Amino acid sequence: MGQAEVSDQGAATGAPVPKNVAVSQGQLDAADKDGVNYLQSNMSYAQTRYYPATQIDTSNVHKLRPAFQFQTEVLESMETSPIVVDGIMYITTSYNHVYALDAATGKEYWHYKHKMGAVTTYCCGPNNRGVAVMGDRLYMGTLDAKLLALDAKTGKVLWAVQVADPEAGYSETMAPVAVNGKVLIGTNGGEYGIRGFVKAYDAKDGKLLWTFNTIPEKGSEGVWAVNDATNRNLHRDLAAEKAQLAKSGDFYKVLGGGVWMAPAIDRETNTAFFVVGNPSPDLYGAERPGDNLYTDSMVAVDLNTGAYKWHFQYVPHDVWDLDAVSPVVLTEAMGKDGRVHKVAIHGGKTGHIYVNDRVTGELIRFSEAMIPQENMWVLPTKDGARMLPGANGGVEWSPMAVNPVLHLAYAANLHQPMTYHVEDAKYPGGKLWLGGAFKVIASEKQWGRLAAVNLDTGKVAWKFDTEQPLIGGVLATAGGLVFNGEGNGLFRAFDARTGKMLWEYQCGAGVNAPAVSYMVGGKQYVAVAAGGNTQLDFKRGNSVIVFALP
Amino acid sequence: MTFSCRVLAGLLMASAGLAVQAQTADAVPPKVAVCAACHGPQGKSTQPAYPILAGQTSRYMYLELRDFQEGRRANDLMSPIAVGLTRDEMHELSDYFAKQRPPVQSFATDPAKARLGKLKADETLCTMCHLGGFAGQNEIPRVAGQHYDYIVKQLSDFKARKRTNDAGNMTSVANTLSAQDIENLANYLVGL
Repeated sequence: MGQAEVSDQGAATGAPVPKNVAVSQGQLDAADKDGVNYLQSNMSYAQTRYYPATQIDTSNVHKLRPAFQFQTEVLESMETSPIVVDGIMYITTSYNHVYALDAATGKEYWHYKHKMGAVTTYCCGPNNRGVAVMGDRLYMGTLDAKLLALDAKTGKVLWAVQVADPEAGYSETMAPVAVNGKVLIGTNGGEYGIRGFVKAYDAKDGKLLWTFNTIPEKGSEGVWAVNDATNRNLHRDLAAEKAQLAKSGDFYKVLGGGVWMAPAIDRETNTAFFVVGNPSPDLYGAERPGDNLYTDSMVAVDLNTGAYKWHFQYVPHDVWDLDAVSPVVLTEAMGKDGRVHKVAIHGGKTGHIYVNDRVTGELIRFSEAMIPQENMWVLPTKDGARMLPGANGGVEWSPMAVNPVLHLAYAANLHQPMTYHVEDAKYPGGKLWLGGAFKVIASEKQWGRLAAVNLDTGKVAWKFDTEQPLIGGVLATAGGLVFNGEGNGLFRAFDARTGKMLWEYQCGAGVNAPAVSYMVGGKQYVAVAAGGNTQLDFKRGNSVIVFALP
Repeated sequence: MTFSCRVLAGLLMASAGLAVQAQTADAVPPKVAVCAACHGPQGKSTQPAYPILAGQTSRYMYLELRDFQEGRRANDLMSPIAVGLTRDEMHELSDYFAKQRPPVQSFATDPAKARLGKLKADETLCTMCHLGGFAGQNEIPRVAGQHYDYIVKQLSDFKARKRTNDAGNMTSVANTLSAQDIENLANYLVGL
């Protein structure tokens, strides 16, 4: 593994983009202040998704109209976060297509279609969440667990490396992060008994630079925590777990711990922050004793070496799949000492936003629950035990946005009442390994909630309830706006301060991707994919719709 | 060699090449005939007890054959057949059937039951794994348009824990399904 190869990865069709594409490290570092481009899947290394342009604001957003609609040839779930560089937009689709288009007109330049390997193994849809850009190259992870470098001008494959073995359950759907000559990528596979990781590759040639295994070979049992991060009892049978540990072998190799979303980067301290997903199998915990570190945790590692710095676990020994997926955001919030601290925050499937000190990892506070919680943490049973939230969250992979002026974080939540079921299950070797099931309760209504949380107090400042559970992510702008979409096709703008809905547009298919914004020729645009969602079976589409003022 | 001979030889080689290509594209693994006895030509079974293989995912079929061979799944007919297959043969057969077009189902579904089946499928979050329209993906089988009797048998076997080769997922899913739920689901799935 790690040997670069370029043959047999498919080729782009169409024409080169009519200008040279070059994104410097300086541009990437200043992406949070770049009111023209949109350079990273979550806008900047801090991942605030707070776009600095103000042309579209609370006073005129009601005039927003479609400027163009770009249709891909793939009618399946869209989770892409478009990247825009100097008027060129790059989008991805399910099954790893990439399109380069004119960001002002929708004119297609080139189309790359990845030649998928014979074996793919993935949970929750053939998704892709976008590319990373650095220099004159794009980087994309693929469902067959490869990392590709493409020429941003032509779509030509420059190198490809096998990140992990798809036969064993590894796949890639996240947007990688490109920084200082490296490309960082995690892995899916927590539903298949993988051993998760974040890897860093040399952007130049795809050479593996370091690997951080999210499951340590020794010590995954942790501190035998009795409570979760919010001090609620987890109902663990620690004596049975300790007895099991004494006879357990090398279960660390199949303990899961996927990393689904792009890491946040603090360039000042040279640190990468990410959250780690559930242990495997999801619901059957008897044969994976201990806290199952570093699953369900935020982890900070050295950007140069991948060396561990700190971790903070939200749900030790998770048997509900209420894990950590939504990407880390770096921002500021009031500390316990009344002073402003640099913090790393995460919106959990539990329905809490957790605020941790960025240097020490210490938990400063957790928000009040954004959605109903009931019966936590009742253990799953054979016939099913009811507990809220359901296994999709709370906040699923959907990236949050943060308005740093208001100190508000905006999170897209699901409310899906579920029963949790457990079954004994041995490692099945590359097959889905849930060790049970979760089922929605038909008699109970499902809905969604866009919640704004004050990071200084943990209180919900406002909320907007929706017909459909929300999955897809949020964009905030300096125009005092928040954008979010729903599975029924409605894409909306809200007043960031009050939550008042100011505008909505019916996109015709599920808006289950995070919006982005950019400027071309002095005009601000807002773009969002409307492709529906596999996980919640929202109506599929194949479009990116781009809006502007008349 | 004269010019004309060269042209002729070239043409012969070209046509031979085409013939080889055509043969490869339509290659039928030798052991397909064994499968056809129950699963029908091209895997388009017309006998409700035997699943339609045409259009099934290759990965699923390969893993099931491997499970039959290694005893994780048992069936009086399939187990002894699978024992005699090499891994390459399993891959060839799986790839072959995956490439065939699934037949149109003629089963007369009960619309009321199918509607209830759809509701139960939504509640059970089936498409999270089986994908929209139950088209299947990778190691998760296509169930759309499968035989009614076969769907009922498999869900009942999962429920009764007679089939346990799926790491607890489907046994857990089927555990809380009633016989009526299974009938409704089968009515829904056969019509997709």
